[in-house]
Amino acid sequence: MTIYVAVDTGGTFTDLVSFNASNGEVRYTKSLTTHHNPIDGIVNCFEKAEVTLKDATLFKHGTTLVINTLLERAGPTVALVTTKGFRDVLEFARGNRTALFDLFYKRDPVLVPRELRFEISERVAGSGEILQKPDREEVQKIAELLKERKVAAVAISFINSYLEPENERQVAAWLREMLPDCYVTAGTELSREWYEYERTATAAANAYSGPKIGGYVASLGDVLAKRGFSGQFLLMGSNGGVLSAPHAASAPVLLVESGPVGGCIGAGVYGQALGIRNIIAFDMGGTTAKCALVRDGEFAVESLYHVGGYGRGTPVRAPVIDIVEVGTGGGSIAWFDEQRRIHVGPKSAGSSPGPVCYGKGGTEPTVTDANLVLGRLNPQRFQGGEMGLNADAAKSAIVERLARPLGYVGENGSVEVASGIISIALVQMGEAIKRVTVQRGEDPRDYVLFAYGGGGPLHSVELARELAIPLVVIPPEAGNFSAIGMLVANIRRDTSRTFVQRLNPESLERVEAEFVVLENSLKESIRQDFGDVKVEFDRAAQMRYVGQQHTVKVTIQSLDSELLRQTFMDTYKARYGHAIANAEVEIVSVHSTVQVETARPNLAKLAGKQAANSVPQPTTRLIFFAEKNAFVTAKVFSRDSLPVGFSSGGPCVIEEYGSTTVVGPADTFEVGTLGEIRITVGMLNAGVRQ
Amino acid sequence: MNVISKELTAQVVDPVRLAIIATGLQSIPDLIEADLMRTAFSPLVYEYKDYAVGMVDAEGRSIALATNGLPLFLTNLIGLAVRDGLAIYGADNIEEGDVLLTNHAATIGQHLNNVVMYTPIFGPSGKLLAFMSLIVHWIDIGGSYPGSASGTDMTELAQEGLQLRTVKLYKRGKPVEEIFRIIENNTRLPEMLLGDIAAQYAGCVKGKQLFEQLIARHGEDFLLTAISAMWSKAEQAAKAAVLAVPDGVYEMTSFLDDDGVDIGKRIPIHVKVEVRGSDFIVDFSGVGDQLRGPFNSGYYGGGEVCARSAFRYLFTPNEPANEGCFAPVKMILPPGKFLSAGPNAPMGRYSTPLATVVDTIVGAMAKALPDRVAAGHHGALDAYGFNGKHPATGKFFNYFDTAHGGWGGSSHGDGVGPYKSLLHGDNKDIPVETQESLYPVRVEHFGWREDSAGPGRHRGGLGIDKSYRVLAPCNSFIGFERHYCPPWGLNGGLSGTPAFVEIESKGERRKVLKQSRIPLQPGDMVHVHSGAGGGFGSPLERDAKAVQLDVARGYVSRAQASDVYGVVLSADGSIDDAETRALRNKKIEKS
Repeated sequence: MTIYVAVDTGGTFTDLVSFNASNGEVRYTKSLTTHHNPIDGIVNCFEKAEVTLKDATLFKHGTTLVINTLLERAGPTVALVTTKGFRDVLEFARGNRTALFDLFYKRDPVLVPRELRFEISERVAGSGEILQKPDREEVQKIAELLKERKVAAVAISFINSYLEPENERQVAAWLREMLPDCYVTAGTELSREWYEYERTATAAANAYSGPKIGGYVASLGDVLAKRGFSGQFLLMGSNGGVLSAPHAASAPVLLVESGPVGGCIGAGVYGQALGIRNIIAFDMGGTTAKCALVRDGEFAVESLYHVGGYGRGTPVRAPVIDIVEVGTGGGSIAWFDEQRRIHVGPKSAGSSPGPVCYGKGGTEPTVTDANLVLGRLNPQRFQGGEMGLNADAAKSAIVERLARPLGYVGENGSVEVASGIISIALVQMGEAIKRVTVQRGEDPRDYVLFAYGGGGPLHSVELARELAIPLVVIPPEAGNFSAIGMLVANIRRDTSRTFVQRLNPESLERVEAEFVVLENSLKESIRQDFGDVKVEFDRAAQMRYVGQQHTVKVTIQSLDSELLRQTFMDTYKARYGHAIANAEVEIVSVHSTVQVETARPNLAKLAGKQAANSVPQPTTRLIFFAEKNAFVTAKVFSRDSLPVGFSSGGPCVIEEYGSTTVVGPADTFEVGTLGEIRITVGMLNAGVRQ
Repeated sequence: MNVISKELTAQVVDPVRLAIIATGLQSIPDLIEADLMRTAFSPLVYEYKDYAVGMVDAEGRSIALATNGLPLFLTNLIGLAVRDGLAIYGADNIEEGDVLLTNHAATIGQHLNNVVMYTPIFGPSGKLLAFMSLIVHWIDIGGSYPGSASGTDMTELAQEGLQLRTVKLYKRGKPVEEIFRIIENNTRLPEMLLGDIAAQYAGCVKGKQLFEQLIARHGEDFLLTAISAMWSKAEQAAKAAVLAVPDGVYEMTSFLDDDGVDIGKRIPIHVKVEVRGSDFIVDFSGVGDQLRGPFNSGYYGGGEVCARSAFRYLFTPNEPANEGCFAPVKMILPPGKFLSAGPNAPMGRYSTPLATVVDTIVGAMAKALPDRVAAGHHGALDAYGFNGKHPATGKFFNYFDTAHGGWGGSSHGDGVGPYKSLLHGDNKDIPVETQESLYPVRVEHFGWREDSAGPGRHRGGLGIDKSYRVLAPCNSFIGFERHYCPPWGLNGGLSGTPAFVEIESKGERRKVLKQSRIPLQPGDMVHVHSGAGGGFGSPLERDAKAVQLDVARGYVSRAQASDVYGVVLSADGSIDDAETRALRNKKIEKS
């Protein structure tokens, strides 16, 4: 037997999906995440789903442990060793304030306080030449101090090491030898791009999360082994690919967005299987909505990420799928200010106390409460009926907190306000989609909206209408889609180097040589982890006009100077609407990606049990549709009763475990070959209702 | 339609639709701003964000301004430019596809590099509804010093570049080649400047399209009604914030070192702020007169920018900037002051004094708003740079940066930082690795300045020491301020250590504050010392444990811990409680 298993440990739930390649059987299960020891939640899932791990060949895992360790500052005592004269770089950051009129603006606390930052005499010049080599005796003295201070991990980051990592490599080797029990990490092992603050912060974040993640990966490996597992154990990287357990333990910063990327990968793989080239992957959860672009199965990967957000967070140079996030989720609170201006979010009731309708102490009305008042959610079938919702409480909160004080009176007032909350949430999420499309030179109308997560399918059709997107796709198991994405993820590594070169035929020879170096090192690291497997490389470069600061990422098909210039100009023009004919162009950094396919389940079978080919028997209920400005009788389908090829017009809702799809009166839907719901959006140019 | 009670029938726009339209309007400049930053060639655009993106209505009233621009553009410069355009051409002669620009100093009141570009937006009925506009710092528009605005010793506006008063760069969508030729032949960096102009133009066009989509969505009449409603809401919010503060007159005095020409002649900044009902009246009658040197600004581009920026720090940090939100702000600013200079005054370094002026207004309000103010921050633009021929490429290089330093302590805690000035925002420091890769310099030290923080119960943020070794012959440019008026303390806190620069050549160090051309030889060093923030409350009241930690971290020396904070530490670093108590009591008695 050949079984593939994926487990996604999220903030609230741990999701498992397993696929038996021998008989096509799929199992899904969910269990509460156990924060004190996330492995318990995973084991609970194994037991609930009765997965026999000895038959499993592949175990893939996404975890929020890295991001939580960093956000909660729950790591051990960590030290930093840096170049003489530069120990405060980590604390200075870049001197910018993202809150413009705040006299008290502060960044998140520094990961390594000053008394644990040590300098050594070593120096690499701005040309890459080594001016001074490190001295073993000086390092030995620091090692003694680190022992004395009981430091669990040490980060090493030297000025200009992105050009010449030898000094860092040497000091790392010495410290590993001198401090065998200490977790040692060097910045250039993680990033070869310039900007000392970002690289130092990356090394610090890696050291800070390293001991915990190393321990976790080892314990989980033991648990798997005890249950008879002898296959490949892989972790989900934020770049959209999986990596080996030892690699994850040595570079935990590669896992900062380990969970959320699952959905993007799934969207890409389904899109390819369905022949859909351009996708907006849209995920709406309890506190935020996230979106990302997928083109021809590929998503953009950025090489800089901020732990805790750009506003106050710590940067990490690690490849992360380019996701735009907005603080609008099911738990987002609707409120009004002294000028009676209504706002939705960014404050969220989260999952505790949660929306008013959860009955767990929430008092402020949320997006979920509004959905319930409008009949869009079924109070008896939320989370498969595991959790009853209190519609009366939701309604009275909307009346008391918003409708009455704002002057919306009468029976209709609460409905007006609830509908308004949804409209405002939609505009906010629409702006996030504009940021990944319009701002990147793309037209959302050329894309298919691919919606998942608890709230994605609930709002996707109206969102599509708002942006004039003609087709919406809801994948199977939309509420657990991240785990499915992990199940289909490839092995992937990204590496990049700052390598500033004017674009001309001579410099391209040097660029070619640099790519060969990068690719050889990638090939070697893949070989170490996975043996001799078939690898595929992709090349890209960050490029700009000479004199500019910001760059655009250009995919490299061949290293031909004229062709590359043209590709750059085309990419630039597509993104910004203009290009400059005669200006000189330069390459700033080169990026190499390697992918190795992992065994992948049959997507058609992932939709779970095929519904019998009989006519589904919907029930009905009254649902408010803004375009009709009225409650309308709508059909209520159970998703698992819909056979492939089934189609129907709106208005209707399709309910499943973990999510609900709303289809408007002007829309039609069909169940596609992979079990996906395809919704053709009507009234595309209706605009906002009057 | 909505069921709205009688009380609110006067309120035409439903709050939900207002929220939807407000979100849509704000997103336009925000989307364009990100594009501009990413396509610009001038470091003053992509690093300093020395730009603004916004829309005004047909009469020049501000509709929305990008969230992340500099406070320098809070005053409605777009509106000023548009009104000049309407006066010169008349509304009938501004047509679809026209793009106008101006940097007229008498209109804008800032240096000539700040060029406003705008294009009209018409509704389906053909009615002129609005203008989309981008203000961008042009990298060089001639004048006697590279970069046009960098000279610290200019005495006439004409030395600072080309003045273009309200000309059409595009007519009905077609470029006006004559204007392009004039621009191209009046700059040292034509390629870069034309690149920036292309980005600025693209932003106008794209912003206009986005605005047109919004008109199509909501209808022109309704959109205009909603915009009026946004203004009145913003006005109500701003007035309510001022009404909550007791009436009174609040004053503060500070000063600037000099204007770079009359060296050593201090420039007084006396501000008197009156809160009367919902009015916030800033009286600048006590500031210095128009200067001979280039530190002047105009009534709007200088005085109003300061009054409005201070207002936002104090009252409405989170309100979007539009026509309504500054309604309470009134100014008394006679003509001929350095914040209301005449049409031919040199303005190259106009922004240098403004952060100190804002700091002074904030400081004046300390009694009225004790929890919303902080002690003085390091204070000025503190610009420095290097230029010359790069030995590796043989090409001219020009490196420019501004120092970041400490901010003032407050009732909330120690001063924050290191940041640039109060008039900066999301402006990033240039990495050492970038500097060393592109310019013939090596940074030998970049660290906290020990004992620099203004002592206090909550001390100020520390300044920074940054030492450059020059690797090739070049010139340095230094434009430092606020050296003789150190960042002040508050409520018994002491002042922070001020900023200055030292040039080290052949073993000798000399202090420099303002100098445009300093010749340097390989091996010479430039030591940049940025200022620290002032302290809040008496240092003798600072938690001894906090002092102990400051010493452990090297922020404060043992000597300062005992001399100023009265905290005695034993050899092992622990607090000697008895000695500390005795020393603190002695110091309190003395004072």
